[in-house]
Amino acid sequence: MEVIYGLIPGMLLLGLAAVGVLFWAARSGQFDDLEGDGQRILMDDDIKPDDPRRFPGADVED
Amino acid sequence: MSASQASGCFHCGLPITQPTTVRAQVGGGERLFCCQGCAAVCRAIYDAGLEGFYQRTPDGDIFGPPPELPRQLEFYDLDEVQQEFGDISSDEREMQLAVEGIHCAACVWLIENGLAAMPGVSEARVNLTGRRLRLRWDNSRLRLSRILRRLGELGYAAVPFDPGAAELGLQRRNRALLYRLAFAGFAAMNLMWISIALYAGADQGEFRSLFHWVGWLLATPTLLYAGGPFFVGAWRGLRHWHLDMDLPIAIGAAITYCYSLVVTLSGRGDVYWDTLVNFLFVILLGRYLEAMSRRQAVSATQRLLDLQPRAATVLRDGEEALVPIRALRPGDLLLIRPGERVPADGLVEQGTSALDESLLTGEAEPLARGPGQPVVAGSLNGAGALRVRVTAVLRQTQLGRILQLVEEAQASKAPIQSLADQVVPWFVGATLALALLTSLIWWQADPATAVLAATSVLIITCPCAFGLATPMAMAVATGSAARHGILIKQGGALERLSNVTQVVFDKTGTLTLGRPSLVALIDARGLWRANEPGTRLDATRQHWLARVAALEQLSEHPLARALTAFAREHGLADMTLEVTDVRLEPGRGIVGRVDGQTLALGSAAWLESLGMALDKRLASPTDWPGVTLLHLGLDGREVARLLLRDDLREDARTAVDALIAAGLQVSLLSGDRQATASEMAKRLGGITAIAEVLPEGKAAEISRLRASGQRVAMVGDGVNDAPALVSADVGIALGSGTDVSMASADIVLTGNELARVPQALALAQRTLVTIRQNIGLSIAYNLVMVPLAMAALITPLVAAIAMPLSSLAVVGNSARIGGLLKKAR
Repeated sequence: MEVIYGLIPGMLLLGLAAVGVLFWAARSGQFDDLEGDGQRILMDDDIKPDDPRRFPGADVED
Repeated sequence: MSASQASGCFHCGLPITQPTTVRAQVGGGERLFCCQGCAAVCRAIYDAGLEGFYQRTPDGDIFGPPPELPRQLEFYDLDEVQQEFGDISSDEREMQLAVEGIHCAACVWLIENGLAAMPGVSEARVNLTGRRLRLRWDNSRLRLSRILRRLGELGYAAVPFDPGAAELGLQRRNRALLYRLAFAGFAAMNLMWISIALYAGADQGEFRSLFHWVGWLLATPTLLYAGGPFFVGAWRGLRHWHLDMDLPIAIGAAITYCYSLVVTLSGRGDVYWDTLVNFLFVILLGRYLEAMSRRQAVSATQRLLDLQPRAATVLRDGEEALVPIRALRPGDLLLIRPGERVPADGLVEQGTSALDESLLTGEAEPLARGPGQPVVAGSLNGAGALRVRVTAVLRQTQLGRILQLVEEAQASKAPIQSLADQVVPWFVGATLALALLTSLIWWQADPATAVLAATSVLIITCPCAFGLATPMAMAVATGSAARHGILIKQGGALERLSNVTQVVFDKTGTLTLGRPSLVALIDARGLWRANEPGTRLDATRQHWLARVAALEQLSEHPLARALTAFAREHGLADMTLEVTDVRLEPGRGIVGRVDGQTLALGSAAWLESLGMALDKRLASPTDWPGVTLLHLGLDGREVARLLLRDDLREDARTAVDALIAAGLQVSLLSGDRQATASEMAKRLGGITAIAEVLPEGKAAEISRLRASGQRVAMVGDGVNDAPALVSADVGIALGSGTDVSMASADIVLTGNELARVPQALALAQRTLVTIRQNIGLSIAYNLVMVPLAMAALITPLVAAIAMPLSSLAVVGNSARIGGLLKKAR
């Protein structure tokens, strides 16, 4: 049963890692819009940035 | 709301009324639209190859036509204005935009894809809950106004907004709560298996002390970090001599902690680390859920405020300068161009114009303003340029004060809630007294039992179940309502709505679409029908209608708009006509001189009061049910009658039927003539019609109903019904976009769906029932458990299991309210 002395800190570290991930997720705003993100995952269309064909009349001003 | 639904507008799904139908060739086929705005947006969507939008919108869902784009978007290109909203030190800029018109996930898709395709936009991410857009773009390649215009083409009005200190603070608090919840959850999960090990036998073995210390290791940071707010709250309450819910929570947690620590040190007895941690976790969970629901209700009204003007043109030494509103000072001279919103309260120094103050007063008719007269922030300038001396800015303006009222209303509590708040201190006091009494009684027998029993009492008397009973039910109700297009601004409104006996609907714009159209004209030579093919307007009638349009151009009334639209469509709009001496009387009519002729249009009584003779020979339109009749007088006598029809909203009949089925009286309130109102009431299933009420009389009519013992809910479109909405027990407004006259209503139907009225009613009744159930539940629980705990028949462990169960029962019972609207959908 000596293994328990290793398992306990291991489990606590794992748990803390999970808490850390959750803190990071909350800080990066992943819980700010649960409704939108829930829907977004269902939209399978890839966004094609900087493709002028998709945006006719895009006049780049400089 | 898709191509398959042939009856409505292809873009927004609204029913199409005949004369306003727009046909357009889009995407290789002819499609029907309710207005030019929808057609333009649809064309832009197809041009950009984003037609997938229409596959993504939920079937059968209807959303209004695209909102009007804020004017003068170039404002937002200026660095002086932009720095108010974000960091502008480099060309790569990031900003938050408040977006009006976001409706569902398909809108998220459309906006994100539509903007991502613009060269220069590096990130566009929509927050659906807050209807916000986070935008990152390269300012050297693309200007902000171009992006805003693009959003406008896609059917959304957006302006940059500055997340104020209050909102950021709220977000930070919610996040801190989430962190604490997460930590308590982690500790609770790990302690659970330690507890299992202890109960399974480790309590007798070699690891007993180790497990106790691991428990201590987990419980200590949980108590200090996750439980911190309760100690702070308890201390604050004590200092102000106010017993609140935090106190027994803090005392219970502290005693459990100390007792378990003594056991751990001495090695005798049982530890209750798991009790402590689970207890904190459950309470935090309740608070987090409550905070989430509340935020959703608040963010919906907040959006309305974000769309207010942000910049103003100031004249300094004859030079024009664009400044953010915050930099305005009383005494500044403003230039307000036609079509702009007035940014601050002030007095006109130069120029005349008509101002639409409906945003504030709910009165749709523009008011003429000239030198020396006051203008108020938020009103819309008509055709003239004004120079205005600022008298009040920001929160000191009338608009600012209205917004403050809205905020106060949101912070206010329902009477049933304040009752609960008043009871809580007594409840807490009783709990503490009982715990003390228990420990005193048992102290003689056995000090250990005394501590345990007192702790059990503290833990088991669940003030949280009691304290959660009302706010939890309210939070679930308002949150779920907000998600379904019912914005409840005030907890008290739900309570009042639950015992309403009569529902009064405004007719124009509420039961009807508010978009009347000219269907016929009667004159001495007979009847002319607008929709009959092959009929042409002769020169005389054209002459009349052109003059009517010229006159009505100055009015914002729906009937006036219908007439000017008709003239434009038939090519009768004549800009060269000279219009003078115009007088508008809300609810009666309009009179003025057009091209040298005196023209009056309005009710029969109004024409007679002007000394115009009615033409008895003109046929009365008996065979035209449900139309509005306008008498046209020209140079002293009536020459024609105009018939305008406004179609019923599609869901009007179902909404009325549902209300009648719920045992309520339903009536219709209208300024229209009795025959029209009665006909409409008949079509709605025989409800009472109160007709020929002038706008200023509507509030009195509601007060009369209330005086007769009825509890009245008034449903109006929030533009001209403001006083009536206020005088009713519950005012329900249809949300027509950025209209802050919604401030006068208690409940706003953001989706303009009448079917929400019976739903809101059912929700209110259900909420009140749930609150009573919750209170009963927590009282019954305490009546059973407290004597047992005092008799030391309950160990703190059982107490710890029972307590969260009672809270969860309350939370769960409240959560069932949310299912009500889901089913209704």
